[in-house]
Amino acid sequence: MKKAQAGWLWGAIVSLLVLAGCGNENAAPSEPEKQARELVMAVSKDIKDMNPHLYTGSMFAQGMLYESLVENTEAGIKPLLAESWEISGDGKVYTFHLRKNVTFHDGAPFNADAVKKNIEAVQHNAAKHSWIKLSTKIASCNVVDEHTVELVLTEPYYPTLVELSMTRPYVFVSPKNFIEGETKDGLNGYSGTGPYKLVEHKAEQSAVFEANEQYWGGAPAVKKITAKVLPAGETTYLALQKGEVNFAFTDDRGANNLDVEAMNQLEQSGKYQIVRSQPMNTNFLAANSSKKESPVHDRAVREALWYAMDRELISKQIFAGTEPPADTLFSSNVNYANVELKQREYAPEKAKQLLEEAGWLAEQAGGVRKKNGAVLAMKLYYDVNSSAQKTEAEWMQDQLKGIGIQLDLIGEESSSIASRRSSGDYDLLFNQTWGLAYDPQSTIAAFTSKSSYYYTTSGIAQAEELYKKINDVMVSTEEQARKSLYRDILNIVHEEAVFIPLTNGSVTIVAPKALQGISFKQTQYELPFERMSFATK
Amino acid sequence: MGRYLLKRLLISIPLLVLVSFCTFCLMQFSPLDPAEVVLQAQGVPQITPELVAQTKAELGMDKPFIVRYLDWLLSCLQLDFGHSYVTGKSVWSLLGPAFVNTLKLTLVSVAAILVLSVALGVICALQAGKRTDQAVRAVSFLLASLPPYLLAAILVWYFAVKLDWLPTSGMDSYKSYLLPVAVTTIGYAGIYFRMVRSAVLGNLHEEYVRYSRACGLPERKIMLHVIRNSLQVTTAVFCMAIPVILGGTVVVENVFAWPGLGTLSVKAIMSRDFPLIQAYVLVLAVAFILFNTVSDVLQAALNPKLREEL
Repeated sequence: MKKAQAGWLWGAIVSLLVLAGCGNENAAPSEPEKQARELVMAVSKDIKDMNPHLYTGSMFAQGMLYESLVENTEAGIKPLLAESWEISGDGKVYTFHLRKNVTFHDGAPFNADAVKKNIEAVQHNAAKHSWIKLSTKIASCNVVDEHTVELVLTEPYYPTLVELSMTRPYVFVSPKNFIEGETKDGLNGYSGTGPYKLVEHKAEQSAVFEANEQYWGGAPAVKKITAKVLPAGETTYLALQKGEVNFAFTDDRGANNLDVEAMNQLEQSGKYQIVRSQPMNTNFLAANSSKKESPVHDRAVREALWYAMDRELISKQIFAGTEPPADTLFSSNVNYANVELKQREYAPEKAKQLLEEAGWLAEQAGGVRKKNGAVLAMKLYYDVNSSAQKTEAEWMQDQLKGIGIQLDLIGEESSSIASRRSSGDYDLLFNQTWGLAYDPQSTIAAFTSKSSYYYTTSGIAQAEELYKKINDVMVSTEEQARKSLYRDILNIVHEEAVFIPLTNGSVTIVAPKALQGISFKQTQYELPFERMSFATK
Repeated sequence: MGRYLLKRLLISIPLLVLVSFCTFCLMQFSPLDPAEVVLQAQGVPQITPELVAQTKAELGMDKPFIVRYLDWLLSCLQLDFGHSYVTGKSVWSLLGPAFVNTLKLTLVSVAAILVLSVALGVICALQAGKRTDQAVRAVSFLLASLPPYLLAAILVWYFAVKLDWLPTSGMDSYKSYLLPVAVTTIGYAGIYFRMVRSAVLGNLHEEYVRYSRACGLPERKIMLHVIRNSLQVTTAVFCMAIPVILGGTVVVENVFAWPGLGTLSVKAIMSRDFPLIQAYVLVLAVAFILFNTVSDVLQAALNPKLREEL
């Protein structure tokens, strides 16, 4: 009887294995066929709250639903919901002529009244929008007629149009969706004027967007886009291989969990194409110049760090060439950033020389340098959830050891790193510029903000001058004056080496081979899905 | 029995208060300003000191520690668990669906674990030391020691991509259950079947078995008694498996994009979403107390000796 039991078990195992082996041939390929005309996109997190006047929601989704008055393009500011505009001589009054016959997804008309209500709703919650300096300059928003609206500022502010073009907060929601006339405590619907409508949202699972057939710019060709939440990179890769999802793009955290190797393999499979954008932002190390007790306070040390980092090698080895090495805080395709700055190539000998001159000496060859008893040791904080940062940090540690600098690596949650940044409790940490549409003005405005880069910039000799120039540039009305102020600002932070550039980040898309018209916006957060279409067979 | 249950319930109330108080205290030890972390979780790009102060006042974080705890406790007694700091939605509207999703996964997994552990345990005990026993133990040892994410990736690759039988992830149909349940089951069954095996082995050497055999009772009948007696030991373990799995599905949920408690709780902890964390801890504590009680009752039902003690 015992024999019989064992036999039964083995029989079960064998039959299971046999079952697993067959039945493969008749697996119907219906799934990929059906999906061929629509996009199923892998996202690492839920789209969350689609209220564009707050910041929890995914920007790519908000970019599909809502639109701003003007659009930031490679060729500058272009009309979007406003067909044209005038700026008063003193730079304080902006008059917008709105596009006619535009309706929100719920049928409500888009008009001057809707613009006024939205802008006022944003201003009622101004504390949350302090990053966008326009929010501190708006005096009033007035209806002139059905299709004309007037924005009055307290003082001239040159980035007004740029900031109005951003995905949030100055975009327009149907006033019918407001709760008690406000948007700060939520919305009862998500009707924008954008090319796509949100038709279904299963929290933490998926969101379905359908083409807005009444879109003023013409109905989009890709009729349905589903965003599927896949938190784990391995699953995203396997789901792409299988065809359950057929689209992914890098988010601000990089790659929606797909690494370079996985993307290359998908491309080699022949089903997918990989499309990369121009450089969108810069990844850098922020050095805490204000921390007097740390060696990082010493400009020579910061310069030595810069010279000692082989960015070519980091780009090649860690990012397989997908992120080109960066030589300056802003790449030259950023507005106002095309200025002559001293090149600091990889030169470990030069780094050693700088340290020697500054009095940082090694007692024995290969040892850690010291100056007046202080050890040349610094702490570098990286995001534990970013494998790229960890690898980069380890490389740096090794490279710096060679010139007598001790780098201690500390991995933390991104929220702890952010709070270190705002309290000045760090030597070095990883950060990135905000992206083309936001650079240079938003990143530079953040130099003066305690919660951003105040501690990075405040320890340098010319700090006062720097802050004054930053203040001046934002209110300057003269293009030439602005250019020269930006040149000075970039020169100061470059000379002081407080932002040590590493690589330029870009957006990478994994898309089905048949998808055409793939292009990018001026930010790494959204994509123009309305311009995409499938090749006809 | 009734008195026993009543006693159990009464003891559980101070226990729950203690658990929630401990969670509350632990969160106080965090070096980060909770209001700042909440604002970061809300994605606010620039956090000014004024905004932090305003948020603190809005969320009542500016009150003293003990007042905040008592406020929370008081509204809890009125079954109001508050609203998430980050999303502003009611805690139940977030926790409820996630709990149901994880519970579904847990119950199916526990059923599979139970069947597999008992079947394998009994077979291995009967075949103790023979090839079948050794093979099962070796394979289960190997599988149970694989990290769940690796096992999950292998299973997804083979069954979802290569054979194209099952979806890679999600929660769409009964097919979606197979892989996550398999990963959970393999991990736990590999441990639990050993308990069943040793319990059966222990029972097989009892006097009553020899006596029954001597009396000529059919082997089938003897086995029924042996299994029933062996299960007594393992009932407690299986009952506690439910809350253990309920609180331990983070990895499986992450890999299979299962919108459950694990993912929700980790996110809540990262963003210091205090009302959500407290509710999560309470739900798990209740689950532990509940299943502990169920296990006692079941054991009493199986063993008359214990019934007198209750």
